[in-house]
Amino acid sequence: MTGDSARIVEAYTGEYASGKSEVAINRALGLAREGRPVTLVDLDIVEPCYTLRPLKKTLAAKGITVLAWETGQVGGLGETGNILRAENRWALKRPGDVVLDVGYGVEGAKTLNLLEGAGTDPDLRVLLVINIARPMTGSVEDILVYIKQMGRVDGLINNTHLGDETSVEIIQQGARVLAEAARRSGIPVVATTAVRELAALIGPKDCRGHPVRAIDRYMPGAFW
Amino acid sequence: MPKDKPIEGEKRVFMTGNEVVAWAALAADADIMFGYPITPQNEIMHYWTRLAPKFGRDFLQTEDELSAGFTTLGGVLAGRKAFTATAGPGNTLMQEPMSMAEAMRLPMVAIITQRGGPSTGTVIYSQQEVTMTTLGGNGEGMRIVYSTATHQELFDYTIKAFNAAWKYRFPTFVLGDGYQSKMRESLTIYDPAERGIAIVPPEPYFGKPGVPGVDRPPSQLRNTYNMEEELYEVVEHYLEDYAKVAPEVAEYHAHYVDDADLVVVAHGVVARAALMAVKELREDGYKVGYFRPVTLRPLPEKELREVAGRTKKFLVAESANGQLARLLKEGAYGCTTEMLPLFRPGMGITPEEVIAEAKKILG
Amino acid sequence: MSLAQTIELAMPRCWRVDTKPHKFCPGCGHGLVLKALGYAIDELGIQDRAVFGCDIGCSLLSWDFFNLDTIQTHHGRTTPVITGIKRANPKLIGIAYMGDGGGYAIGSQHLVNAAARDEKITVILVNNTQYGMTGGQMAPTTLPGQKTETTPYGRDPEKTGFPFQGPEMVAAISRAGAYVARGTVANFRQLQRFLKRALENQMAGNGFSFVEVISACPTNWRTNAEETWNMIEHVLPQYFKVGEIKVPGAPAAQEGEKKDG
Repeated sequence: MTGDSARIVEAYTGEYASGKSEVAINRALGLAREGRPVTLVDLDIVEPCYTLRPLKKTLAAKGITVLAWETGQVGGLGETGNILRAENRWALKRPGDVVLDVGYGVEGAKTLNLLEGAGTDPDLRVLLVINIARPMTGSVEDILVYIKQMGRVDGLINNTHLGDETSVEIIQQGARVLAEAARRSGIPVVATTAVRELAALIGPKDCRGHPVRAIDRYMPGAFW
Repeated sequence: MPKDKPIEGEKRVFMTGNEVVAWAALAADADIMFGYPITPQNEIMHYWTRLAPKFGRDFLQTEDELSAGFTTLGGVLAGRKAFTATAGPGNTLMQEPMSMAEAMRLPMVAIITQRGGPSTGTVIYSQQEVTMTTLGGNGEGMRIVYSTATHQELFDYTIKAFNAAWKYRFPTFVLGDGYQSKMRESLTIYDPAERGIAIVPPEPYFGKPGVPGVDRPPSQLRNTYNMEEELYEVVEHYLEDYAKVAPEVAEYHAHYVDDADLVVVAHGVVARAALMAVKELREDGYKVGYFRPVTLRPLPEKELREVAGRTKKFLVAESANGQLARLLKEGAYGCTTEMLPLFRPGMGITPEEVIAEAKKILG
Repeated sequence: MSLAQTIELAMPRCWRVDTKPHKFCPGCGHGLVLKALGYAIDELGIQDRAVFGCDIGCSLLSWDFFNLDTIQTHHGRTTPVITGIKRANPKLIGIAYMGDGGGYAIGSQHLVNAAARDEKITVILVNNTQYGMTGGQMAPTTLPGQKTETTPYGRDPEKTGFPFQGPEMVAAISRAGAYVARGTVANFRQLQRFLKRALENQMAGNGFSFVEVISACPTNWRTNAEETWNMIEHVLPQYFKVGEIKVPGAPAAQEGEKKDG
């Protein structure tokens, strides 16, 4: 591990298609750019059609360790896809930073139970990725209900977007909704994420003062 | 009992295709879903089971797809808007209830998320369930099949499917695929009433008020007949009805076809790639057109024949070995258009592949 | 007794070495069931005659598991495929391997009729209380209150019934020569014994043989090792009674049934 900074262990959870994987990938790459050793772990076993699998080599080439299947290893068998990789189960025992891309919803969040040491790891933070353009998490009330179902949540990520139609305004709207959800739940908003071009327009902080993380999109090319 | 509106007004949202179907079924006032697990349709059930109790709707997970299909028919007979969703081998099993729906004019609605075949194949994607969905079962294909290409269409046509089924009383299908099921994109969800879309109300076949045989004739449905003539008369009558409504049901999209030397024909998600390819080819000066049947049953035959009548060549692009092409050949019978294949059974097709093939043909 | 104490370390001889390590999740019960079956096949010396059929669902991952002639069938259809093989060549020993969805839901009519016809085949059904491969939906064996992807608010027995009692049903409808048992991956030696007796029953031509195995799916249960073990050792046996339910020679459950032969 490098320097004086403490180990970072973050699990990204959230609603189906909330952008967990994209946020997790960008976080892992961001930490790697700071020279930190990072392991990115695919724990999506609920409905892994958009997965880290096709990106494994691309991401590894950028200097992070990726624990994920490769499509050829699980394809061709019919209904496969929900098989937990043995190595991934022990991911928290690895040195350095660990970023976990967890499957969707409540059942996805419970995937953390399968990780050795998840209950006791002092560094683990569970971050809930929210896109208010997803109807299940579209309002403050919906988000509060959702947080309750999810069990452990240590922080919120505003990943509000509409795919290619995303605007600064909808991201800021997400920031406002999440700030209110944070106030009422007592769970802080850790960051707002936005694609690089829009992040530049917003600046280092969103309208409610949350730090803005610029992200690059990898997932559109990561189908099955 | 008044139902809470699942969607107030309009909302721009970001969703997966399966989720879109669940919301659209709510918006269409669907009452009950019957289903059995099969990839890639599972999240239609997952979202329906999460949402349904909030809006007073029901769900039953049956023991298999035969049962899911027949319980759906039972729901329809009781006058509820019942639907199901399946794929691949499940669609195969469901052909039995679907043929009963044809025989008795029962407005069942099924969402088909095509996967690779034959047999269990892959869970991923294909357009290999076209023949089965349009013409499957023992029967005459008296069905309505909408082949969608975008999430907006999944929403619009799921609502439309319930309306068409209950208006025309033919089994109605939304033919999607694994890509559409899992892809995420933005769309506008809406309360149909606010767009002026009237929801066709269901009507019970069984359990109407009054004593059967006393206050009203008993409702007795049959699907077996003693004599050839009896059956013939019934089927002829149904076929007449089907032919009558076909022109108003049939839908298509056509672009740049008037002066085209080559028309790319595709349906469903492949039509997206085809349209992108055609636009790019036009920009490069190629006289290429685009034709997409939205309904595969009934086929937009008149428009197809018009295009086939003035175009020398069709390039038929589909993720199957000519299942769309067979429908087109029947629909355009007698036209001299040459039909060239871009068949990729169980594989996606990119705009680049369509462009390359078109350039090869045009020289 | 710990799991490590109950299992042997050596691979069964009839396992296909080049397809190991197997494709199941860590902690999955399938590997144990297939190991017990492998030892039973070794002990009986029937690798040359045993034919293996696997269903769709997680059980399909066993399609290249053994050095046995193996067919991956359709979802729910393994019992009739193996029946056909056995009818066409009675010298073969037919093994149909499936999950609770394949055997008790989509393939239940085949299980019922194969048992009622007293097909001389062996059906092994792995019960892990849900559909694993499609992502954890309710199965006929799902426990009351258990949350799955299609029972997000917990299984309500009033609406969807109680856990399916498979061996009890098979015992009730099968003839005197049938062998019916319920084993568990929590008791490996007993499971191996049950599977061996089931195969012996087929070899002796006594009749239908059926073994349900209580198994673990930590992946879809989202349970760690301790919770998984608690499920199979303590929770599941409350709903599924382990033991031999019917052994050849015992009187048939049906009233007035004539003696065999």
